[in-house]
Amino acid sequence: MDLTPLTQMHLFPVRHHSPRTTAVLSRWLEQVRPDVVLVEGPCDATALVEVLCDARTVPPVALLGYRTDGTQGSAMWPFAAYSPEYQALRWAREHGARAEFIDLPVGVTLTVKRTPESSSAPASGPSPVEAIARARGYRSFEEFWEADFEAPDWRPEQFRAVLLAWAAVLNMQPRDEVHRQRDAFMARRLLEVVASGVAPSRVAVVAGAAHVAAFAAGDVDLALAQRLPPAVPSTVTVIPYSFPRLSEQLGYGAGNRAPRFYQRAHDAQGDFRRATLEVLLEFAASLRGRGFTASLDDVLESYRLAMTLASLRDKQAPGLDELREATVATLCRGDASHADAFLWKSVIGHQVGQVSSRAGRNPLQQEFWHEVDSRWLPRMDRPEPFSLQLNNALEVGTSVFLHRLRVMGVPYATHVGSTHDKRNEEQAAGGITALGRVRESWKARWTPATDAALVEKLALGITLEGVTTRVLQARLDAAKTTGAAAEILLESVLTGCSRTVDAALRAVDSHAAMDEDLCSLASAARALFGLMAYGSSRTRSELGDDAVAALGQRTFTQALLRVREACGSPAHDVFLVSNALRTLHEAALSQPLADKEGWLAEARGLMASTEVNPTFSGLAMGLLYLARELPEDAVALALERRLSRAVAPGASALFLEGYLQVNALALVRNREVVRTLDVFLRGLRAEHFIQALPMLRRAFGALSDAERRHLLQHVTALAQSNEAASPPKLDAKEQAAMRDLNADLGKMLDDLDGLL
Amino acid sequence: MPDIRLPAETKYKTELDALAAHDSRPRPPGWRLSPRAVETYILGSDTPVGGVKISPKYVGDRSLVQVCIATLASDRALMLVGEPGTAKSWLSEHLCAAISGTSSLIIQGTAGTSEDHIKYAWNYALLLSLGPTPEALVPSPILRAMRAGQFARFEEVTRTSSEIQDALISLLSEKQVSIPELGRVESAQRGFNLVATANTRDRGVNEMSAALKRRFNFVTVPVVEDLEQELRIVTMREAELRSEYATGVPPSEELSRVLLTLFQELRRGVTLDGRTRVRPPETVLSTSEAISVLFNSAILAEQFGTGEVTSQELAASLLGAVSKERKEDEQALRDYMETVAKVRTGPWKSLYAESKKLLRR
Repeated sequence: MDLTPLTQMHLFPVRHHSPRTTAVLSRWLEQVRPDVVLVEGPCDATALVEVLCDARTVPPVALLGYRTDGTQGSAMWPFAAYSPEYQALRWAREHGARAEFIDLPVGVTLTVKRTPESSSAPASGPSPVEAIARARGYRSFEEFWEADFEAPDWRPEQFRAVLLAWAAVLNMQPRDEVHRQRDAFMARRLLEVVASGVAPSRVAVVAGAAHVAAFAAGDVDLALAQRLPPAVPSTVTVIPYSFPRLSEQLGYGAGNRAPRFYQRAHDAQGDFRRATLEVLLEFAASLRGRGFTASLDDVLESYRLAMTLASLRDKQAPGLDELREATVATLCRGDASHADAFLWKSVIGHQVGQVSSRAGRNPLQQEFWHEVDSRWLPRMDRPEPFSLQLNNALEVGTSVFLHRLRVMGVPYATHVGSTHDKRNEEQAAGGITALGRVRESWKARWTPATDAALVEKLALGITLEGVTTRVLQARLDAAKTTGAAAEILLESVLTGCSRTVDAALRAVDSHAAMDEDLCSLASAARALFGLMAYGSSRTRSELGDDAVAALGQRTFTQALLRVREACGSPAHDVFLVSNALRTLHEAALSQPLADKEGWLAEARGLMASTEVNPTFSGLAMGLLYLARELPEDAVALALERRLSRAVAPGASALFLEGYLQVNALALVRNREVVRTLDVFLRGLRAEHFIQALPMLRRAFGALSDAERRHLLQHVTALAQSNEAASPPKLDAKEQAAMRDLNADLGKMLDDLDGLL
Repeated sequence: MPDIRLPAETKYKTELDALAAHDSRPRPPGWRLSPRAVETYILGSDTPVGGVKISPKYVGDRSLVQVCIATLASDRALMLVGEPGTAKSWLSEHLCAAISGTSSLIIQGTAGTSEDHIKYAWNYALLLSLGPTPEALVPSPILRAMRAGQFARFEEVTRTSSEIQDALISLLSEKQVSIPELGRVESAQRGFNLVATANTRDRGVNEMSAALKRRFNFVTVPVVEDLEQELRIVTMREAELRSEYATGVPPSEELSRVLLTLFQELRRGVTLDGRTRVRPPETVLSTSEAISVLFNSAILAEQFGTGEVTSQELAASLLGAVSKERKEDEQALRDYMETVAKVRTGPWKSLYAESKKLLRR
């Protein structure tokens, strides 16, 4: 095919997100007045031009393309108001010209690996451009771009020439195969438009500088387009975008280091001086708001400094670097920490765009935004904390909404653990703890990823409840144990999905009969009892509370039957089984429906047994003692038996470890127990001691500081009484030394207290 | 050569003259050089200007120097702040020499600095015989700078008391000194400005008032973090010192590198590879301290040693520098030697051995 029409078209090279390009482009379009405007962007998104240009659409927005064949995969094409592509579309719409996207369709883009950096011509490969910038005396490519391309007030023809020359320099390096293929694809589209009867001189092309340079040079191999992979099923929509996300796209295009600053420059028709002054005024106000002095004189002075610096560096207008240096020297009095801590955020901005309702938000997005608006939830791209009192239907509803998003995997709100359970913040979001909560703290932040996820989830259902149900159902189908099924039961309750509540109850029931795993049974029992105890205002099972209660009892009994086997077999994880035992104990004591006597009998059996792992015997004894089911002297006796010389020291240590796990304070308060311990430890032979040491360390290492103090006091007291028992043959000197020692010990204890 | 140390404008006269002769850019009123030429003078240039090679005076961030120069071209005075020994005064001297042609209009701030030092005093013999006349007036360096349209320097502003600092406020905003005894007000000529320095470590001593701070633009001169850069600075300055005092022998690059590695690691509290934590001493281990340690060992080697700087001289000078303020700092050095230097090879071995001898005492 003949490539000449390419060179006859009006070609305009751009750098994405560059306010200067946008300003120049607008003037150029006024001169050229094309009938057709062809813009770099996925060609199957052309239908969305209407939405992008709608008066109620406020940038930053993004085209979101995603796969519809069930596999994960999506890509975004963000636009700010100062993006030249966006400006070109708007111009076309306002002047009745036809506007079309010409780049690869979404389905193809998603199969070729697409990195944001490689899609923009001038920023392709950081090292050569950085090298050029440094050779010109700039610190970074961004500074170079800002000074040499953004700041000067170009005439369109000059600017085109400069950008094309720049792109030609870059194109001298070998280009990615994908870029060449895209060149070919876009060139085909251009030629097709001409073939359809439009004169080349009536066509304007707005695309990345590298592509345009290739078109202008006729350096396009049309055959390459054939090598593109076939498209996967996909679709494309418009979603809101935000400044913070735009600033994360480093290397993608100008305007990304500080979107709000560039937005200001754009609003001032490319006047960076005005943008600088506006930002400085905002900085000063922000400083005053925090109690620092920042007068108008300071603002003027820093503006002057920025201007002088710019002229010293032969720049036509101050850029971000001058802005920052002037701010630090003048407004911040040489201290950069304020600038870093809060000032700099405002040049990035936290604004979120809006998409006209014509975009046909999908039902999930609609529901999401409806909930967010009606519940006054945060809608900005910055983290905002809030808390819910779960004593009224409204806030419970909000909680259900947020838990649904959590289960669906839509990034919006994260649960913030209360100060009491910081340790397991991860698990604390859902599960049994969530059920008993009367107050929930959340931190929410809208990001474009929120909407992107909502769009992708559409494949699973058209309501949030529907999607959550699908997700939970899938998890339920995959669940192999009673415990896992019970967990999903709780999640279903939290998210108010009544269908999965019933399904999960049935799953628990059917698993429980077959399940041999103590841990899973125990956690299921706890979940079921928890459900009974706390009830829930979120959802009701159709099966009724009685069914839950009966199931809970059955599961608990099942669990009790598994205790012996689990504790006796070395195959089981000690930590998990210990947890299961505690769970059962807790449930037995707190839930009226649980078979308390059954558990106590089981625990006594464990305590006495020599068949099971001694850790569990110790643990059982500890639990029984804690529940006041075992008198103190019995504890001392049992300990003595377990720690006697006849027992292997390793087993003794394990027993001790199990016992100390429960309530070390109870142990260390009882002097008899300490005495037994003391005798045991003193009696250990060296090799046995070394053998038992790891267990002992674990056992005592878990003691809290206060517990250690009690233990020390007892040990000291015991040592003293030992001395008293064997009549001392001490002379006065030794007695004095002894007193000193005592005083030292006392002091040590005090120090210890001080440390605690 | 009578002076121990020549002022910058004398020492670098050829460079300054060459820059002035080949400076086609516009100069702010009262300036001897254009801002760009000042920048070249401070940071040096690879290409000779008018056949004269311009040596770098300050090795560091270009933008920092540009902010200084841009500030001085404005209405505001310049305040250089930073830790001791970060070349604040050095930078101030060269800025004044390049822009005003003199770096000698200087007030050295102390607790004893009075308002007379800042404004004017009287020659009492003349005052008694002639009465309050212009001849009997002794102008301060600042007043002289105002009259001549030059830069004055004020070293260690925070060492002077707050009342005295306050005298600067109206002086800097009005750019005038009122002399009621003579019934007149002296206004500054164009080209007047002030370059002040202050230590951040002394901030607590006499904190500057907000009103005074508003008269300055602040530039924080950072501690040099890059080993190679600090090595360049130290080597350059130490060589200058040796030639000025006409004594000492040049230390090897290897030893200088060892010394600076030690300085940087003690300063940061962690070794350069980030593996080992080190207890930092209280004493400020500045770049200028490193220069003086190196210069000191150069003299020791020449006068009392073999004529070649070895770890023996380095260890001796180092100990004096580190354990200046507190006994604990000596412990910090000992810890460093035992944990870090001991396991290293090359010159570290002998440095460790030498310092062990000294530290044992």
